[in-house]
Amino acid sequence: MNVVVCAKLVPTGTPTLGPDHLVVRSGVDGTLDPGDEYGLELALQLTEQHGGDVTVVSMGPDEAGQALQRALAMGASRGVLVSDPSLRGADALVTARVLAAAIATTAFDLVVAGVESTDGYTGTVPVTVAELLGIASVTAVRRLEPSDTGARIERMTERGYDVYECPLPAVVTVTAGAVEPRYPSLKGIMQAKQKPVDRPSLQDLGVSDTTVTQIVTAVTDTPTKAGGEIVQGDEAVGRIADLLAEAKAI
Amino acid sequence: MAVTLFWRHARARLEVLRAARPSSRSDRPGARARRELSHVLGQRKLFQKAAPGVMHAFIFWGFLVLLPTIVEAMLAAIDRRWTLPYLGHVAWFAFLQDLFATLVVVGVAIGFAIRKIQRPDRFRGSHMEEADRILLTILGIVTTLLLWNASRIALGIAGHPAGAPIADALSALFGGGRGTQVAERVLVWSHLLLVLGFLTYLPRSKHLHIITAAPNVYLATNHPRGYLEPLRIDLETTDADVRLGASVATDLSRKQVLDLFSCTECGRCQEVCPAWNTGKALSPKLLIMDLRDQVAKEAPLITAGAAGIVELQPLVPNAVADQVVWDCVTCGACVRECPVDIEHIDTIIDLRRNLVMAESRFPREAEARLRGVETYENPWGQPASARTDWTASVEDIRVLQPGDPPPEVLFWVGCAGAFDERAQKTTRSIARLLAAAGIDFAILGPRERCTGDPARRMGHEYLFQMLAEANVETLNGAGVTKVVASCAHCFNTLANEYPDYGGTYEVVHHTELLSALVAEGRLRPDPAGGRGSVTYHDACYLGRHNGRYDAPRDVLRAAGAAAVEMPRRRERSFCCGAGGARMWMEETEGTRINDTRFAEAEATGAETVATACPYCFVMLDDAAKAKGSAVRVADVATLLAESTLAEPDG
Amino acid sequence: MARAWVYAEVTPDGPHPAALELLTHARSFDEAPAAIALGPGATAAATELGAYGAASVYASDDPVFAEHPGRPAAHVLAGLIEDEPTEVVLFAQTYDSRDVAGRLQGCTGSALMGNATSITDPRHARAEIFGGTKIVDVELAGPAPTLILLRPKSIVAEPTGGIARVVPLEADVLEEVRGARIVERHEEATSGPRLEDAKVVLAGGRGLGGPDAFAILDELANEIGGAAVGASRAAVDAGWVPYSYQIGQTGKTVKPEVYLAAGISGALQHIVGMKGAKRIVAINKDADAPLLAMADLGVVGDLFQVLPALMEEIRRRKGS
Repeated sequence: MNVVVCAKLVPTGTPTLGPDHLVVRSGVDGTLDPGDEYGLELALQLTEQHGGDVTVVSMGPDEAGQALQRALAMGASRGVLVSDPSLRGADALVTARVLAAAIATTAFDLVVAGVESTDGYTGTVPVTVAELLGIASVTAVRRLEPSDTGARIERMTERGYDVYECPLPAVVTVTAGAVEPRYPSLKGIMQAKQKPVDRPSLQDLGVSDTTVTQIVTAVTDTPTKAGGEIVQGDEAVGRIADLLAEAKAI
Repeated sequence: MAVTLFWRHARARLEVLRAARPSSRSDRPGARARRELSHVLGQRKLFQKAAPGVMHAFIFWGFLVLLPTIVEAMLAAIDRRWTLPYLGHVAWFAFLQDLFATLVVVGVAIGFAIRKIQRPDRFRGSHMEEADRILLTILGIVTTLLLWNASRIALGIAGHPAGAPIADALSALFGGGRGTQVAERVLVWSHLLLVLGFLTYLPRSKHLHIITAAPNVYLATNHPRGYLEPLRIDLETTDADVRLGASVATDLSRKQVLDLFSCTECGRCQEVCPAWNTGKALSPKLLIMDLRDQVAKEAPLITAGAAGIVELQPLVPNAVADQVVWDCVTCGACVRECPVDIEHIDTIIDLRRNLVMAESRFPREAEARLRGVETYENPWGQPASARTDWTASVEDIRVLQPGDPPPEVLFWVGCAGAFDERAQKTTRSIARLLAAAGIDFAILGPRERCTGDPARRMGHEYLFQMLAEANVETLNGAGVTKVVASCAHCFNTLANEYPDYGGTYEVVHHTELLSALVAEGRLRPDPAGGRGSVTYHDACYLGRHNGRYDAPRDVLRAAGAAAVEMPRRRERSFCCGAGGARMWMEETEGTRINDTRFAEAEATGAETVATACPYCFVMLDDAAKAKGSAVRVADVATLLAESTLAEPDG
Repeated sequence: MARAWVYAEVTPDGPHPAALELLTHARSFDEAPAAIALGPGATAAATELGAYGAASVYASDDPVFAEHPGRPAAHVLAGLIEDEPTEVVLFAQTYDSRDVAGRLQGCTGSALMGNATSITDPRHARAEIFGGTKIVDVELAGPAPTLILLRPKSIVAEPTGGIARVVPLEADVLEEVRGARIVERHEEATSGPRLEDAKVVLAGGRGLGGPDAFAILDELANEIGGAAVGASRAAVDAGWVPYSYQIGQTGKTVKPEVYLAAGISGALQHIVGMKGAKRIVAINKDADAPLLAMADLGVVGDLFQVLPALMEEIRRRKGS
C-alpha cells in the first residue's frame, strides 16, 4: 500500500502576524505540525505491515523542508515540496489545489492528513483534496485496516465511533492519540538527508490559479477579561459552593 | 605447557582488546603513575572497607613478595641444591617469605570468614564457587610453600632457618629422614603445579584482575568523575552507517573492555548503588559481568575480523536488559567504590547513546522532555521568553543583551531555576544575595539554553552537542569569564564538559560563591537567626563528581544552622534519584530512591533538609510531601537569604 | 430568492442545535434564509427549522446521506447551487458539516472560511485566531456562494415562530460518488445532560494525573445534578476520557452558568472552548496556571483535597 502523507510546517514559537495580516512563516523556526505526526505514524505502520512506501507532500516556504526532513527521519521514503512565492498567504482552496496536483503525480492508495492544522484549525483542506481528486474520504479516523473492498476504518464520533467500509484510493484524516508517533532516531535523521525530495514548480503541477479568496482586512486584540479573585485551599471550598448557589446550581 | 596454555587464553583476551575502539588515555602520565601507586600498591580503594581491605592487601602484597619464590621453587625442583642467586642466600628474604606466606594464609582465612560467616549481600550474583576455588588454590600455594620450606629446614638445606620462624616451627612435623626427602620433592612439585595450574586458570576467571587491574587503574580518566567523553557527530559528513554509541561488543573502547576483564565481582559497587538498593534491575556489578560474559562468548567472532563482526549480537538486550540501562542515575557511587577503577557510567551512557540515537528506544515518558529540549531548548517545553518570569518579583536583574559589557559574574540560572516553581525560589534567593553583596552580575535570560546535561545523560549526544555549541557561542560572544551556576548538573557540564566545545570559564557553584562572600564579610548573616537543625544532602554532581563538600556546609553554619549529618554523606552520599535524566523517567520498580533518601534525612531528626541542586530539591521535597512530613526541604541559598536579608522572598 | 442558505445537520431526533443558531445568524442579513436538510428526519425537522426562521427547507429523507456522510450531501448542494444561485452557505463548525463544506468547496471553487464567530454579510465575517487572542475581519472574494463555518454557541438561537415551506428534494446520488459507507455504529451509553447543554460543567485536565481521578468529577457532577463532565485536550490525548469530553478549539464549545476547571493549566486551545462561561472557577496547584488568572474564582490548591471537601460542603448545604 503506497501512502501519501500531507505535512505542514507550523511555527514553533508563538505565531505572529505580519503587516499584511498573514502569519509570518518565512525565517521563523518551524516544525512538522504535531497533528500531522499521527497520520504519518499510521501511514508508516501500514506500510511496515503491508508493504509499500510513504511519500510526504508539503506546501510552504523553503522552511517547510524542515517539516519534510522530520517526516523523512521518522521513516517516510521520499518527499515532495511545493514552494512558490505566489503561494504566500494561500487559503484553503489554493492549498487544496496544490496538494491535490502534487499528490496526483504519485502512485498512491491512500492519502493521510491531520484532522486540522494546529495553527489554522480550518480542517477542510483534506476533504477538498479528496473532492478534487474525485476519491472517497473519511475524517477523524482512529483506526484503519486494509480490507477486501478497500479499508475498514473507525471514525470518531460525538459519543463513540462509526465503522466505515471505504473504497481505495481515499483520503483520511487521523486524530491525535490514534497512534503513538515515533521519536526519530539520529540515524533516521542522518538517513533522511539521503532521501529524495522533489520540488515541482506550479507549472509542473499545472496549477495556474493561485488567487486568494480569503483576505484579512483588520486584526484587533481580543479584549482581555479582568481576572477574578485568587484564594488558597481552605477558604476555597465555601467560596465555590457560594458560587454554585448563586448560579442556582445547588 | 602451562605457559603455553596461559598464553593461549590470555592472547584471546588480548585480541579482543586489540579489536576494541582505541581509548585515548595517555594524558598526564604523572597523575596516572601516582594513581597506580595509591590504588594498586597502596590498595587505597580496597581499604575503604577494613576487613576486606586487610584480606586483599595481605594476599596482594604476599603475591608481590613471593613472585621470586616461584623461580626459586622452579630451580629447586630440578635440583634441590639450586636456589636463587643472592635472594636465596639472605636471611631477610627468608624472613619476608615466611612472614608474607603466613599473612596470605591469614588473608585467605579472613576471606573465607567474610564469605562463609559474614556473607555480605554485595556478593549476590557473584560466582561464589569460583572465588572459593581461587582462595583454596592460593591457600594451597602458600601452605605448600611453607611446608616445603619447613621440610628443607628439617633436611638442613635451608640457608636461614632462624629467619623463617613459622617454617622453622613447622619443620618439627618432619623427621628429616628418607620420608622427609620424598616429602620435600612432593611439596616443591605440588607448589609448582598449583602455581602453574593457577596460571592457566587465570585468564578464564575473575582472577584475571591480577593482570588487568594495574593497566585499568592506569587508564582511568584524569577528569573529574562527572565528565563524559564526547562523541563527535557531524550530520553533514558523518556516514549514516556510523555506530552511535555502543551497540555490539566491538563498539566498546579498550578501556571499557579492560573494565570488563578487570572486574573481581567484589560487589562494592552493587552495595552502594541507589538503583540496586531500591529494588531496581540494575546492579553495576551484574552489568559488568553480563557484558563481560557476552564479550567472552563472542571473542572468536570478534577476533575473526570483519566477517565475524556482522554476526555479533547487540549488547542490549542480549547481555543486559533495556531497563537495566535506564535504571542508572549516574551518581558515580559505583565508580568511586570500585577498587580497580571500572568506569560503569561511561559504558552505560554509551549503551544509551546507541539506544536513543540509533534505535530510538527509551522510556516513552522521557520523549516529551527530549522534544521539549529539541524544540524549545529546555526540558520544560517553555518558550525562551518565559526564562525571565522569575525576575518579576526581584528588582533590577540585568539581562545581558548582545553587545552589552560582560558582567563580573554571569548567573547561569538553568532551566529548573527558571521554570520550576519551587526552584525559582532558590533562584530569587541567589539573585537577592548577589545583589546584597554588591556583585556585578547578569543573566542571559532568553538567550540561555539547556546545558544539554539531561539529553547527554539520556544518551542523546547530538542534542547535547548542539546545545553545548550554541551556549558556548553565546557565552564567548558575550565575553563571559566567570559563571555561577545554581544547578549541580549545569555546574558540572559548564565546568567539565564545555571546555571540549571551546568554552573555558571559571565556573563556581552558588554555594561556593556565597561561602566566599560570607567569608569576605560581604554577606552578613545573623547567626542568632537560628535556622534550627539542618542536615545537608550532598548532590552527586557537586560532591562525589566534583569534590565540593565544604562550601555548602560552611554557608549553613554561617546561616546559624545546627548541622547534623546523615550516615551516607560527602563522597558516600546517596543520590536523590534524579541524575542521569532519571528526573524525566518514571520510577515504577521497587521503592522510590527519593523516598529512601528522604527517610534517611528525616531519621537524623533535623528540622530542615538542605539541598544545593534544584533536582535534589524537587525530588526530596516531593518525598517530604508524599510522606506528609513536617521536615522542610530548602536550598542552602534560601536558608542563607533568610538569615541575611530583610525580605528573603517576596 | 434567498441570499443565505443554511446547511442543517439533522437526525431522526430533530435538527442539530447549531442549525438553529445558523438560522438565527442568517436572519441578521437575510429576512428569508433557506435551510437544506439531508438524511432521515429531514422533512420532520423542517417544522423546527421553520420556527427558527427558515423560510423554506429543502429536504430529503434519503438514507444515503446518513450511510455515506459528506460526499453525497456536498454533491446535492452543488447541484442546488447551480440551479438556484445563492450568495452564502452557512455551516456549523462540526466534523460532519465541515466535511460537507470542504467537499462543496472542491466543487464550486468558492471561498471558504472556518471558525467564524460572526458574519456581517455574505462577503464579510469575523473569526478569532491564536486561541482567541486576536480577532480578524475577513473579506471573502471569488465566485458565489461563499462558504462560512460558524463556531457553535457563537450566538443564542432565537425562534421566530415562522413556518417553513418544504421543498422535497430528489436524491440522485450515483453509486460511484457515494464514497465511504458506515457499516457499524458504536455509541457509548451516557447519562446526564449533554456537555453543551449542561448548566454546570466540571472539566479535568492533566493535573488529574490519570483516568481514575475523573471518577471524582463524575461523583461531584452527580451531587450537583444537571452537571456534565468535560476535559482538556491533554486529558483526551492521554486517553483518559473519550473525545466526546473534549472542550476547546478542537472539541466542544460550552457556555454554562458555572465552569469548574480542575487541574487545567489553560492552554489557549482550551480557553477558546469555555471562555463564554458565565462564571469560571479554576483549581490548580500551580499558582502560575494561566486559567487561574482569567477565572472569576481561582483556587490555588490540591484538587484532590478541594474537590472531596467541596462534595462534603454541597451535601451539607443540601441537607440543611
